[in-house]
Amino acid sequence: MSKERASRTLVLGIGNCGRKDDGLGWKFIDFLKEQKIDDLDLEYRYQLQIEDAELISNYDRVIFVDATKEPTTDGFYLRPCSKVGMTEMTSHSLHPETVYSLCSAVYGKNPECLILGIEGKDWGLETGLSFEAESNLERAKRYFIAHLFVYL
Amino acid sequence: MQNKIVIDPVTRVEGHGKVTIHLDEQNKVTDSFFHIVEFRGFEKFVQGHPYWEAPVMVQRLCGICPVSHHLAAAKAIDRIVGLEPHELSITAQKIRKLLHYGQIFQSHALHFFYLASPDLLFGFNSSPEMRNVVGVAMEYPELAKKGILMRKFGQEIIKMVAGKKIHGISTTPGGVHKKITVRERDYFLNGKDIPSIDTMISWSQEIIDFMKSYHSQNAHWLNEFATYPSGHLGLVNAENGYLELYDGRLRAIDSMGHKTLDDIEDEEYQHYFYEGVEKWSYLKFPYLKHLGRSEGWNRVGPLARLNVCEGISTPLAAYERLQFLDANQGKTCNRTMFSHWARLIELLHCAEMMKDLLEDDDLLSNDLVRRGERRNEGVGIIEAPRGTLIHHYQVDEKDRITRCNLIVSTTHNNEAMNRAVKWVAENEISGKATISENLLNKVEVAIRAYDPCLSCATHALGKMPLEISLLDSNGNTIDVKRKSE
Repeated sequence: MSKERASRTLVLGIGNCGRKDDGLGWKFIDFLKEQKIDDLDLEYRYQLQIEDAELISNYDRVIFVDATKEPTTDGFYLRPCSKVGMTEMTSHSLHPETVYSLCSAVYGKNPECLILGIEGKDWGLETGLSFEAESNLERAKRYFIAHLFVYL
Repeated sequence: MQNKIVIDPVTRVEGHGKVTIHLDEQNKVTDSFFHIVEFRGFEKFVQGHPYWEAPVMVQRLCGICPVSHHLAAAKAIDRIVGLEPHELSITAQKIRKLLHYGQIFQSHALHFFYLASPDLLFGFNSSPEMRNVVGVAMEYPELAKKGILMRKFGQEIIKMVAGKKIHGISTTPGGVHKKITVRERDYFLNGKDIPSIDTMISWSQEIIDFMKSYHSQNAHWLNEFATYPSGHLGLVNAENGYLELYDGRLRAIDSMGHKTLDDIEDEEYQHYFYEGVEKWSYLKFPYLKHLGRSEGWNRVGPLARLNVCEGISTPLAAYERLQFLDANQGKTCNRTMFSHWARLIELLHCAEMMKDLLEDDDLLSNDLVRRGERRNEGVGIIEAPRGTLIHHYQVDEKDRITRCNLIVSTTHNNEAMNRAVKWVAENEISGKATISENLLNKVEVAIRAYDPCLSCATHALGKMPLEISLLDSNGNTIDVKRKSE
């Protein structure tokens, strides 16, 4: 069931905790849940779907959190989500940019969108994070506490 | 010199496939293949697990139609606990059907709006940058909004019944574990929080009207593109031969409409089907034994289902079926692109069925689970969004699964999709001096009409970039085009 929107900010954790470091997005949402932050909605996703365009249209700010294979300097990156219509190969997974573009085109809403990518190393068929991913997750958490609490 | 075109992967389908087209010195097509290069292991994974885990495990085959695998496995497991489909409580049967119609509704909506509509709205010759769902949203925002909300409606039905939208759990051996409350069902009826089921019916009709209008303006290419004779396979209602998506008899017809499989029961399937293999694909090629490999293959899915059935039980979809038949002069339809039209008629049928079920107080009962006499084998067959889905399990005296056989919808369509590729190669590409991106997209358009789920058919891990390579007969790369991951 959909609920009445009370928060201004939505954090979407994307991933699969059965694929090692692909669970980074969910682990980050677990962390935020433990913080019991008011005015913050949290969602877990295996993949983004087209109806997420409608979901994010209800918020002022959206942060997509996902694992990344991209090499990073600090173990993670935080960057604006651009509105770019990307050619997707399947509907099993959408890029945040596509969801954001759909939100803008269909609903005329342009929430502030950020992508938090946390670097992973191991994508095997197991639960649990690699040592490197755990370390990168901790760095992302510290950054979030230091900087993004102000933003919320 | 002989050349080879490779489309890898095929885009806007579920999962990863690859097409190769072999050309001679004059760019004449000499052969073509649709390869499925993902590997599946689920039939092995489930062995040794207790049978009641199967409906939960197998839905991990797919993130788009997990409900179909969940229900097909559940129907098979019902037989292991001694129950035929009609022996479940009325409430359990209706709750499962509601879940099933919600699943097909969301899947069909997703396919049409997200995967298929860019080809219809913008055409083959539009730029690839425009030919996607964001292009649709920019040019047709109201259409895109309806697509999103229809998909959402189906997903919310799934969440109500199964607890969550993807990989939820509804069934238990012999029934379902949760009833529906008045408050839950009113959410879908009153239109306060989301557009109501009546709106879903209305929007489904609008989209069919669009399709009929599109056909009237583009009749030639819809009628002719990738049209070739085939058999058609699907479930029909055991009583009247009408369209049946949850439980019925298996019927097949040939390209002229003559029956080739006469309404058999689930357990009989193994006496009628073989699965052929080819070294260039992980996907098998099912066919009817008595007709042989070359004549016994069938299409499955919306087009096949409309071909094999004798009617539709809901009035609005029944009317649309007659319009569909009229466009085909009452004959069996072998036109690949009519799959889109057939899919939309099923979309409407599912909306009508959901309305009937949501307004039925049987959903509210506590009579959820039955038990019978334990057996060691069970077969469950349903019509998944993409076609006939067969689950078959054998168990030992300790309740462990000893054998599992899955024939997935896309597997049935393997030969049909290869024929589609061959048709486009021979009719659209062969002999052309240059092979453009638009020509290659036509190959994908033909495959996409089947809405193949290659992950389901083989179970995928990972994803790959789109790469189109042109190679000579010695394997030397002449040209490569790569799309983003």
